[in-house]
Amino acid sequence: MPVHSSALDNLSTLDAATLRAVLQPVETARGLPNACYIDPACFEAEKHAVLHANWAGLAVASEVPEPGDALPLTFLGMPLLLLRDRHGQPRVFYNICRHRGMILVESARKIEGAIRCPYHSWCYSTEGTLVATPHVGGPGHNTHTAIKRSALGLAEVRSHIWRDVVFINVSGDAAPFEVMHSDLMQRWGEHEQPLFHGGADSRFRLNVNGNWKLAVENYCESYHLPWVHPGLNSYSRLEDHYNVVCAGKYAGQGTRVYRQLRDAAGQTLPDFPGLSQKWDKGAEYLVLYPNVLFGVHRDFAYAIILEPKSMEQTLEHVHIYYASAQIDEDLRARNTQMWREIFEEDIFVVEGMQRGRHAPGFDGGRFSPAMDGPTHGFHHWVARQLQLSGGEAQRRPTAQP
Amino acid sequence: MRDLHAQLLAAHRAKDLGRLVNLYQAAARGPGAATLDERAFFLTHAYVHALEAGDERVAALHAELKRLGREE
Repeated sequence: MPVHSSALDNLSTLDAATLRAVLQPVETARGLPNACYIDPACFEAEKHAVLHANWAGLAVASEVPEPGDALPLTFLGMPLLLLRDRHGQPRVFYNICRHRGMILVESARKIEGAIRCPYHSWCYSTEGTLVATPHVGGPGHNTHTAIKRSALGLAEVRSHIWRDVVFINVSGDAAPFEVMHSDLMQRWGEHEQPLFHGGADSRFRLNVNGNWKLAVENYCESYHLPWVHPGLNSYSRLEDHYNVVCAGKYAGQGTRVYRQLRDAAGQTLPDFPGLSQKWDKGAEYLVLYPNVLFGVHRDFAYAIILEPKSMEQTLEHVHIYYASAQIDEDLRARNTQMWREIFEEDIFVVEGMQRGRHAPGFDGGRFSPAMDGPTHGFHHWVARQLQLSGGEAQRRPTAQP
Repeated sequence: MRDLHAQLLAAHRAKDLGRLVNLYQAAARGPGAATLDERAFFLTHAYVHALEAGDERVAALHAELKRLGREE
């Protein structure tokens, strides 16, 4: 599927000069313009240039734990089906029959044998192969020379699983995930080990009335911590944090004073085995572009998938993971509650910035060269994606900010 | 035949796939399946519901339809 390359041509609110202003060094750059947050035409352009053209987070594989588990999802308006095939591989298909485009699976369920379209009963295996076309050649005749089953399997969306997150590349032409994101995979190489989803009490969803990019921007800087999260500031001061920017790939922050959760008896969560000393008190919080927020610690990790429901609404899907399937229930619940409160503290900021984007005179804002490097890195990347999509037929590597 | 029809409707309402396989197989043997096309029609329904359910009878039903020249 070709990269969308014309949507930007029609935009009057997002011209080349505006994007160039974002692409300046952090000291002089402006932020992305208001149009990127409130203009439906920009949302449409961004959908193709940013979210379809890269590896976007869709869901987590733990949501389909067993072969045959099927979860219908709508992502950016597209009907998708996350399905663990009978060999155990999670896969993503368009959730429609190749016959008349009917939705195949309406709600989460186990596929015991084949997926049967509820309309004319064409059937598909969990690998997406078309296996039955009843009466396609007339009553009782289940074949027809014009209908080649081998060419009519479910349309699959390119996907890759990393840290349990199911990433999709809708355009189909991004570099392989493990190539595009080799930097972060290497950075967190020590954390490449089994992750155990904490289960029902370790997943929750937050609804935010703001553009998804604002959630990214807020997540990847520590500048706001003492003001928005005063509870954290009591032990994790601003000066204990450092910025992380990997141009065109990820950005975020780290802390050098992570403090483990303890119960009344002093018990902590079990550590991920084999981590180096850096992680004794270190933790990192990074955004893997475009829309997945990760956190890693010595004893737990999380992934937050930002689902853009619309230009001005985002669902944050939070999933928490541990080093073992056997985690003390009370500690697990407290950990979820603590992080839920932290993430909820950020909501008013994202929603406030969204409302602020309706001020016509706002020029995108400025960045603190000392504190806003990660935010600028993300804006730079988005602007570059839009620029590439709008002006050039071929995608090129992202330039350094 | 009327009784079979009522049973089929009840099995459809209950989404009882195993029962649907039974009943469509019975229909394929009954008076409503006088011609090859009619028999293949009912066997096709038995086959589709067996496929959907992952029912062990699926292989035999597929073989039967294939023998009749109605399946790949």
